[in-house]
Amino acid sequence: MKKLTPYLLASPYLLHFGLFVAFPVVFSVVLTFHDWNIIAPMRWVGLANYERVLKDRLFWQAILNTLRFLVVHIPLQIAVALLLAELLNRTIRGASFFRAAFFLPVIVSGVVVTILWQQLLGFNAGLINRVLVSLALPRVSWLDDPDVAMYSIALMATWKNVGLYVILFLVGLQSVPVAYYEAADLEGATEWQKFRHITLPIINPTIFTVVVLSTIGGFSLFIEPYIMTEGGPLNSTLSAVMYIYKQAFQYYHMGYSATLGFCFALIILFVVVIQKRYVEQENG
Amino acid sequence: MLKKLGVSLCYLGVSLCNNLFFSACQRNDTTDARPMTFWCSNNGPEIAFTKEFADRWQRTRPDKPLRYQPIPEGQSSEEIILASVVGKTTPDIYANMWQGSVEMYAKAGVLVPLDTIPGFRAFITARCDSAVLREITSSDGHIYQVPWKVNPIMTLCNTNIVRPGTGEGPPYTYGRYLRAGEAVKQDRDSDGYVDRWLGYTEVKAIWYQRLFNFYPLYLAASNGAPLVQNNRAAFNNQHAIGVFRFLQELYRKNYFARERLSATRDPFLDGRIATQFTGPWQVSYLEKYKESGLAYNFYPMPVPDGHTGPTYTYGDPKNIVVFNTCRDPTTAWAFIKTLIDQPGDLRLLELTGQFPRRKQLDTDPFFTPFLQRNPRLKPFAEQTRYIKGVDNCEVIVEVFDIISQEYEACVIFNKKTPEAAIADAAKAVDVLLGG
Repeated sequence: MKKLTPYLLASPYLLHFGLFVAFPVVFSVVLTFHDWNIIAPMRWVGLANYERVLKDRLFWQAILNTLRFLVVHIPLQIAVALLLAELLNRTIRGASFFRAAFFLPVIVSGVVVTILWQQLLGFNAGLINRVLVSLALPRVSWLDDPDVAMYSIALMATWKNVGLYVILFLVGLQSVPVAYYEAADLEGATEWQKFRHITLPIINPTIFTVVVLSTIGGFSLFIEPYIMTEGGPLNSTLSAVMYIYKQAFQYYHMGYSATLGFCFALIILFVVVIQKRYVEQENG
Repeated sequence: MLKKLGVSLCYLGVSLCNNLFFSACQRNDTTDARPMTFWCSNNGPEIAFTKEFADRWQRTRPDKPLRYQPIPEGQSSEEIILASVVGKTTPDIYANMWQGSVEMYAKAGVLVPLDTIPGFRAFITARCDSAVLREITSSDGHIYQVPWKVNPIMTLCNTNIVRPGTGEGPPYTYGRYLRAGEAVKQDRDSDGYVDRWLGYTEVKAIWYQRLFNFYPLYLAASNGAPLVQNNRAAFNNQHAIGVFRFLQELYRKNYFARERLSATRDPFLDGRIATQFTGPWQVSYLEKYKESGLAYNFYPMPVPDGHTGPTYTYGDPKNIVVFNTCRDPTTAWAFIKTLIDQPGDLRLLELTGQFPRRKQLDTDPFFTPFLQRNPRLKPFAEQTRYIKGVDNCEVIVEVFDIISQEYEACVIFNKKTPEAAIADAAKAVDVLLGG
């Protein structure tokens, strides 16, 4: 019995892991070799789903869209979060209020935020365009122009998530020893020099964490385009996750959707490994 | 202590298994006595309709208990039905099945072929014309659905803005409609942007939105031609190209709004749009919310200049099916018959304002008093002679999605010619169908 006890104690977790993690992963890999619409029996198709992924123009467009989102979203998120964290790190009045205010959008439901921004970004009645018109500036098709829509979504996503990264950067900034700044002050360093040569190297691990978290979060982009644009216009906001969802739950191509998911996971892994190598190189 | 914990966990596991096992057995033991279940849609008037007929059935056939309920809440009824098919928790009878979904379920073998029930064919043949019977016959030759109700898509027109008598009023040809667009388009607040349009139809590239713009216009132009025939795309023709060109023109000339108007006050009631492609459900809505002075009427869909023959449209058919979990399909059919005989159909009209899919409804004396009392619905009654559902194709949703993608590129963004867009869509559909 003594030998069994550790297994019994671990069994709830193992059961949960087996049922909700291991089994779905193995099952989805098996699915990639099948054609299955949920209600009819599975049909073995070999590597046909993988062949189709290579030829699927829309999937690769969705990957490009997602990368386009990331290219705007990550630098913007880091820049804004770092700037806000730097400001909040100073002794200003009402710092706690501002910290809470910046964090508020993070805890508000993504759907609610998305609907709110949809109203703000409307072409005729949207508040942002009304402000532009009042300033004698032309209106912008924030969500209906294929060249602009993804950037509008990136802007909104940055606003929604920046609070979380502000908190992470704040923790990083507060770990910088004050003595370093005092020494730099004695040497006559400018604010920018202090930031460049003291702050940045010390908070580098935080930046890497933020980059990885934003990358994974960005790759899972779904709610915002799903609600705001349904992937349009001209598929310019169709994200990879949304396309996988569409294949599974709109067309019921479960096997193909699993294959897309599997390929997409490999792409994410590849990007994160490259990021990690880059940061490791930077850190010497 | 640990030993006790281990024993307790084992006991918990065993009792859980026991409970699951015996509860499953118990369910099987009692299923013989379970009442027949009927799922209706979850809108108020249809629930009232179902309740009335279920109660009547209970009174007349207490030996065959029947329980009705609105379809469980979910994102869409299609999603719920799929989940129930997967979980084998389907009702015996389901009303409100979109015709385009039936073929998929039929091929999966989860529906009862109704034409194998004695008396079905004779009843349906008396109720519907041969075109409807052809439309609902599955590729395997069986019939898995009872054609029940339709909501024909027509052109709603604010006759104060688009005045008949000017020569450009309804009924519309493409030429008349476009000229009306020029007359209606307006920048009312002089800010340099158009804020009154001839019409609005959803610009998003979502497949089902094409059922309310491209598809009824295609049916109108082509006298009800199919999109898919003999497992090939059948829409690479002048009718589809003409519809794309017509719609493209409407957007290019700013007669239709490209922006989404759905987030603001109803644009038709607000006078920001003068026409709309919509169904009979709009009548009760308009009557409830219209301001005094609003004059409107319904007309057939616009057709190409020089069009001859009747004007077909999409009928948005919702049908009744019996799932193979039903233990007594004959009784299920007996109940369904009570919903779709003449009194049943009249009650559907009275309670829901939706039209039964039966032949010659507009001239049938049984329905005349109702139509006289509800003149706003008369154009729809007349239109029911010329309606189509969707083709019996397992991947019809993807077909509409492909058309939708090309619609967006050509009609909304003017990136392709109508000829190229339709040809590309047809090619993609052929690939999809394995051609």
